[in-house]
Amino acid sequence: MLHNAGLTLSDGTTLDDLINRDMNEVSLRVMNDKELYELEMERVFARTWLLLGHESEIPKAGDYVMRDMAEDNVIVSRDRSGEIHVMLNVCPHRGMKVCTAEAGNAHAHRCIYHGWAFRADGSFIGAPIEKEQMHGNKRSKDELGLKKARVHLYGGLIFATWNKDLSFEDYLGDAKFYLDQLFCRTDNGLEMLGPPQRFVLPCNWKIPGEQSGSDGFHTLTLHRSLMEGGIMGGTAESIYDTAPGMYGVDLSVPQGHTLRCLEAAQTFKMFADVSFEGKSTEERLHLLPPPGITKELIPQLFKNLSEDQVKQLANIPPQVGGMFPNILIAFIFAPRTDGGASGALSLHTYVPKGPDKVEFVNFIFAEKDAPEDVKRDMLQNAIWSTGTSGTIEQDDADTWPQIMRNSRGHMSKTVTLKYQALHGHERPEGWVGGGDLYPGFTKDDTQWAWWMAYYNLMAEA
Amino acid sequence: MVNYATAAIDKTSVLRGLVSTKRVPLGSEVYNRLLETLYDEAAALDERRFDDWVAYLEQDLSYTAPLRLTRNGPNKDRDVVRTMKHFDENYGSILMRTGRLAKSAWAEDPPSRTRRFVTNVRVAESETAGEYEVVSYLYVERSRLDNPDNETISAERRDIWRLVDGAYKLASREIIVDQSTLGMSNFAIFL
Repeated sequence: MLHNAGLTLSDGTTLDDLINRDMNEVSLRVMNDKELYELEMERVFARTWLLLGHESEIPKAGDYVMRDMAEDNVIVSRDRSGEIHVMLNVCPHRGMKVCTAEAGNAHAHRCIYHGWAFRADGSFIGAPIEKEQMHGNKRSKDELGLKKARVHLYGGLIFATWNKDLSFEDYLGDAKFYLDQLFCRTDNGLEMLGPPQRFVLPCNWKIPGEQSGSDGFHTLTLHRSLMEGGIMGGTAESIYDTAPGMYGVDLSVPQGHTLRCLEAAQTFKMFADVSFEGKSTEERLHLLPPPGITKELIPQLFKNLSEDQVKQLANIPPQVGGMFPNILIAFIFAPRTDGGASGALSLHTYVPKGPDKVEFVNFIFAEKDAPEDVKRDMLQNAIWSTGTSGTIEQDDADTWPQIMRNSRGHMSKTVTLKYQALHGHERPEGWVGGGDLYPGFTKDDTQWAWWMAYYNLMAEA
Repeated sequence: MVNYATAAIDKTSVLRGLVSTKRVPLGSEVYNRLLETLYDEAAALDERRFDDWVAYLEQDLSYTAPLRLTRNGPNKDRDVVRTMKHFDENYGSILMRTGRLAKSAWAEDPPSRTRRFVTNVRVAESETAGEYEVVSYLYVERSRLDNPDNETISAERRDIWRLVDGAYKLASREIIVDQSTLGMSNFAIFL
């Protein structure tokens, strides 16, 4: 297994020099390297499945949104038959954007430059002045459509890939058992509450990327204000003794997806002094519904998930984590002082925009069947804690660019990032789901699994 | 009223600027006092006197920043999206945010150095006596750490200021930013 990989940079540096698998160290240089970035576009972003949005954004035939697969601008559209398509927003004629709006409804996209027109499924309709055949005679109309990506809907989430071979099932792997509990648990599924918040940070995509590999530890320090606000239980003074929210079961799969599952009984203790002892799965769910689930929706969980999945949601729900390469999952408890719904459901994508820029895209959700007032609360919860102004992620957005800046220094970039606080795989008694499991205090195992998924893709020429 | 029933994009609207036609003329006493209040408020925020800033806020405050979206054709001016926001605040959540800034809020510790430029102020009487619609342009220069390049943001603010015991208090503010993708790293500052 430990053989030199098929990646050597022009100065002779190999992937094994950058990612030391014996020491669990990663060279800071990877966070700002043009050559590596170009290879990532080809070996990571053109090979994996990428999250682009949710079908609730484009409910009607002709609805579309404009999104990015790394630096490739794409149109995500619904055709007359209801099928969703993803295609390059690049006119095959002269390279202009065929679609200039971020969202809208159009049964045909007509390029403003020379008027070549395309259907919602990307197929070529024709160029103006049909009798002059302005698309020439060397290529048939069938060849002149917009370049299409493969599309897969999972819990209504729209994923796309340029990879012709990778099945979505193989991409998810054993993470499906856990992710179903977040995305596929109610009759009508999730709904995106509005277009995503978008903002650009001066940092490499891997800085937020590796953090979304379930870095639980930073919560205690970078997000200290959560403890001070009492949101995690305890007080600012007691955090290093009690380390609230740091214990649970972290997990990873070889595909690089990771999750942190936190014991509901522990979470519940933060809100109320009622014991979970001797309570059934259903009773526990009623005492503390998982983030985003209302009491009325609990029967739907039993309908849509297996008994084991519901049991996990009741006892130790997955709450934060990520999907490789650039998705953060935050399906978190968000207690409100006004007693409103206590949940915030956000997904982020960290879209690379060059070796030193990343676009932070924040998608905010609620269950479609949740009451309007709950959706309102959940939207507010997510805005208050995540994304542009979120009090949690403000701190991340200010930290990542500083790491980026350090990665430029001639000496600084030789510093290695340490992932040496490792627990090792250990299956808790009675645990049903698959993957590698790391029970106890949150450590570096999941983030290392993220790097190994990165390594494996980058090593493959 | 925002309908939270759907994420679909046709909930966008065009509303910006003054709604009331009962203009309060430039240079009038009310106009001057409101302008002075806007300047004082900007100074409180630039000088990070958050308690002073909170004293301008009414308890029934609504403080929001909708998204902007690039649109075309017949919808080209319907570019303010109120289903999603950058800020969705009430008085309590503002207190939560200012309280956090007094403790371990690394996003603003060390703090940014900011200049809020408030211009193009238009005032009109609202339908409620003692309440004024105040529309202003806002331009913020934000210097972060030792970075020589400032982050900036431009926006229109649609405010309702209310006369309470001889002083003007902010009852409502909608911040309509111009960027659909923000170039500012976060909104750890108030606008």
